[in-house]
Amino acid sequence: MSKVVGIDLGTTNSLVAYVNGGVPVVIRDRNGEGLVPSVVSVGADGTVYVGREAERRLLTDAARTVYSVKRFMGKSADDVRDEARLFPFKVSGGGGVVRIGLGEREFTPPEISAFILRELKHRAEAFFAEQGEVDADVNRAVITVPAYFNDAQRTATRDAGRVAGLDVLRIINEPTAASLAYGLDKRHAGLIAVYDFGGGTFDISILRVEDGVFQVLSTNGDTHLGGDDIDLLLTERVLRETGGSPTAEAIQHVRQAAIRAKWELSEREETLLNGRRVTRAAFETLIRPIIDRTLEPCRQALADAGLQPSQIDEVVMVGGSTRIPLVRRLVGELFGRAPHTELNPDEVVALGAAVQADILITGNRELLLLDVTPLSLGIETIGGVMSKIIMRNSTIPATGSEMFTTFVDNQTAVDIHVLQGERELSDDNRSLARFKLGGIPPMPAGMARVQVRFQIDANGILSVTARELRTDVEQTIEVRPSYGLTDEEVERMLLDSFEHAEVDFATRLLIEARNEAETVIHATEKSLRAPDFGEIARAELGPGERARIEVALTDLKSVLGGEDRELVRQKLHALNEVTQHLAEVMMNRSVHAALSGKSIDSL
Amino acid sequence: MLSQTQTPTLQACRSCGGGAPIDVHFCPQCTKILSLGRHGDYFAFLGVSRKLNLDEGDLEQRFRTLSRQFHPDYFYNAPPAERRASLERSSYLNDAYRTLRDPAQRVEYLLQLALPRAVEGPEGTGSQQGIPPALLEEVFALNEEIDEIRQLRRSGAPVEAWQTRLERARAPIEAKRRTHESELRQLSARWDQMVDAHAPDSESREVLGALRQRVQERTYISNLLEGIERELAQ
Repeated sequence: MSKVVGIDLGTTNSLVAYVNGGVPVVIRDRNGEGLVPSVVSVGADGTVYVGREAERRLLTDAARTVYSVKRFMGKSADDVRDEARLFPFKVSGGGGVVRIGLGEREFTPPEISAFILRELKHRAEAFFAEQGEVDADVNRAVITVPAYFNDAQRTATRDAGRVAGLDVLRIINEPTAASLAYGLDKRHAGLIAVYDFGGGTFDISILRVEDGVFQVLSTNGDTHLGGDDIDLLLTERVLRETGGSPTAEAIQHVRQAAIRAKWELSEREETLLNGRRVTRAAFETLIRPIIDRTLEPCRQALADAGLQPSQIDEVVMVGGSTRIPLVRRLVGELFGRAPHTELNPDEVVALGAAVQADILITGNRELLLLDVTPLSLGIETIGGVMSKIIMRNSTIPATGSEMFTTFVDNQTAVDIHVLQGERELSDDNRSLARFKLGGIPPMPAGMARVQVRFQIDANGILSVTARELRTDVEQTIEVRPSYGLTDEEVERMLLDSFEHAEVDFATRLLIEARNEAETVIHATEKSLRAPDFGEIARAELGPGERARIEVALTDLKSVLGGEDRELVRQKLHALNEVTQHLAEVMMNRSVHAALSGKSIDSL
Repeated sequence: MLSQTQTPTLQACRSCGGGAPIDVHFCPQCTKILSLGRHGDYFAFLGVSRKLNLDEGDLEQRFRTLSRQFHPDYFYNAPPAERRASLERSSYLNDAYRTLRDPAQRVEYLLQLALPRAVEGPEGTGSQQGIPPALLEEVFALNEEIDEIRQLRRSGAPVEAWQTRLERARAPIEAKRRTHESELRQLSARWDQMVDAHAPDSESREVLGALRQRVQERTYISNLLEGIERELAQ
C-alpha cells in the first residue's frame, strides 16, 4: 500500500509529515532539516531548483526565482498588481490567472506550487525507500491551507496537488491541523484559540474540544499578513537609508540580512543590520502596527463564537512569526494567559495534516475535525446586492438554498453570479463564478421558481446547483473561478510534468547532490580568491580556519566525480560546517558593498 | 381521506433495497448509511421533540455523536453511493444543528414547519403583514424622529443636542422589546407543555399563530433598534 502524507504548503517554508505507529513525524533530509523553503528557480537551461538551492539562486539569479508564491494562489493579476512590483520576477495575466515569468517560460501559481509539492513527494519517497518500505510511492496527501482562504485559493491549492501528481485526500485548515497535532483532546476538554501567524498569512480559529471532536466555532484572519510584511518593512527601511537604485540581487541580499536580523531579535536584545545597531525596542515599535492588525480578527472571531477572551482555556501559537516576543506578549495580554509554545511552530501544521491523512485512510475514529467555512457564500440579486445563502462560520459540509424568480415576462434564462464575502454589495465581495440557467419556458414575470442550492464539501469547496422547479430544468457547476484553471489546463499541466519527469530517481538525487556541491565549491573558492581575502582572514578568521576550509574543499572535490551520493553529501556537509563562519562574514560585507553601490562581483 | 401532508414514516435503503424507519440513519438490514431521501425534520433528525426550550448540552452531545457516525472523513474508502450519503447526512446534520441551537432560528424554523402556508410566496415578502397598526404607527413616529436627529447631526449640532434625544426615542421601543421577549418566553413554555400533552391541533395552532405574531414584531423591532445603534455608533 502506498504511503499517505500530510503537507504544509507554506508561504515561506513547506514540509511533509507522516504517521508512524500512531505518532506524527516530520520527514527530514540527511541533515535533519525538515523545512523546504518555498522557493522555485528555473535555470537558463530549464533545470528547476526547489528549496535551499533555489533560495541561494535568489542572490545570483533573482529574476528566475520565485518565492512567496502562496500570496498569488487563486488571484487574478489585477488583484496582485501593487504587490507584484516588490518581487524580482515578472507577473502578468490581466484579469485572468496570474502568470509568473521566469526566463522564457511562464507558470501559473499552482504550477509553481506543484514544483514544491513534487519536491516534498520525492523527499518522502526517498525517506520511505531508505526505511526499506516495499512500496515507497507517495501519491496521496492531505494539504493544508490558511483557514481564511477563499474558494478560489482552496481550488488553486487542490489544482497544485493534482499537477504534482497527488491525489489530494483533503484540504484542511492550518490552525485546525495544528490543534490536532497538539493532542489537546487528551489533556483538555474546553475552548481553544489557535493563533497562526506565518510567513504570509494570519489565521485565528476558536475551537471547542470534547470527546475527541475538534469543533471549530469561528475563524477569522487575513490572507495577506505575515512575516513577509515585517521583512518588507525592514528591507525598505534599509534601502531608504542607503538610497541609490540597487539590483534585484542586491535587494535580495538586503532582504536576507533583514530576515536574519528579525530572527536574532527574537533571541537577543539587539543586533546589527547593515552595520547599524537595531534594538529590540526599536524593532517592536516598527512592527507594532503589523502585529496590531492580527488582534482585530481575534476579537471578531471571539465575538462570532459568542465568547469573552477570558473564557478561552488554552491558546496555541502556530507559525514562525509567533517566535517574535512582541507577538507572544500581545496575544498573552489579549487572552489573559500565557500561550502554548511547546511544539515547533514551523512543524505543527504538517504534523496535524499527517494525523488527518491517517484518519482518512485508516478510518481511525478517535478524533474528528469539524471545520467551518470562513466566509459567507451567496449570489447577486437585483440592485447588485449580495444575498447570503450560507453564512460564515457554518460547520462544513453544509448546504443552503434560496428561491428566486424571473423579473421580465418570458424570460428564458437567469444569470447566476456566485459571491463570497461579508459585504452588502456584490462588487465589494469576491466574485467566484458566473453561470446561466437557461431553458426556462416562457412565462409571466415572477412565475418561474428558480431554486439555487449551494453545497460546501468537507474541503470547504463549493458547488452550485440551479433548478427551475416548475419545469425541472437543472444545471450544476463546480465553481471554477474565472481567473482559476480549467480542468483541461490542470490535465495538460499534469501531462507536461510527466513528460519532464525524472527518468531515474536515484540519478536525479545524485545529480542534485553534485549540483549543490558545485555551488558550494564555487562560492567557497570565490571567497578564498577574493582580492581582500588576506585582509578578511586576518581581521575575522580564527587560527587554522583557512586550512580547515582548504582541506574540506579538496575532500569534496575528490569525491564529486564518483557515483556515491552519500559520500558527496557527507563531504558537502563537512565543507558547509567549516565555511559557515566565513559565509556569514562574506554576507555581511556583500550587503554593505551592495548598498554602497559597488557591485558584488568586485568583491 | 389521507391528506398529502400525511407524514411519511418509511425510507428506502439504496444499498439493499430494504425499508427503514424515517428517523434512522443506517439501514437496519444491511447496516449501510442511508442516503438522504425521505427524512424527518431537523428535530426528528436530531432525535429531539419539537420543543422551543431545548437542553443545549444535550443537543450538542447529539450533534457530536451523529457527526461521529456519518462524517465524510469516515467514509473515505467507502463506495461512492455511501460517500454521497455521508456528505448529504453530514450536511443536513450541520444545517439542523446550526438552526436548532439558536433560539431565534429555532422558533422561526418551527413556525415554518408547523404553519407552512405562512412562508409561501417569493422571498422577502410577508414581513410587514400582520404587524398591528399601533406598532406600525409608533414605528413611523420613531423613524421620523430619527430622521430629524440625523439632520440635526448633519447640520453640525453638538453631541449633547441630539444624543439624549436619541436615547429618549429608544426608551419606549426598548421597553416594548422586553415585553415581547417575556411574552415569547411564556408562549414557548405553553407550546412545550402542549407538545408533552399531545394537545389537539386547533389549540396548538392558536399558540403558533400568537408566536408568529410576536416573532414578526420582534424582527421588526430589532431592525429598528439596530438602526438606532448604527446612528449612535457613527
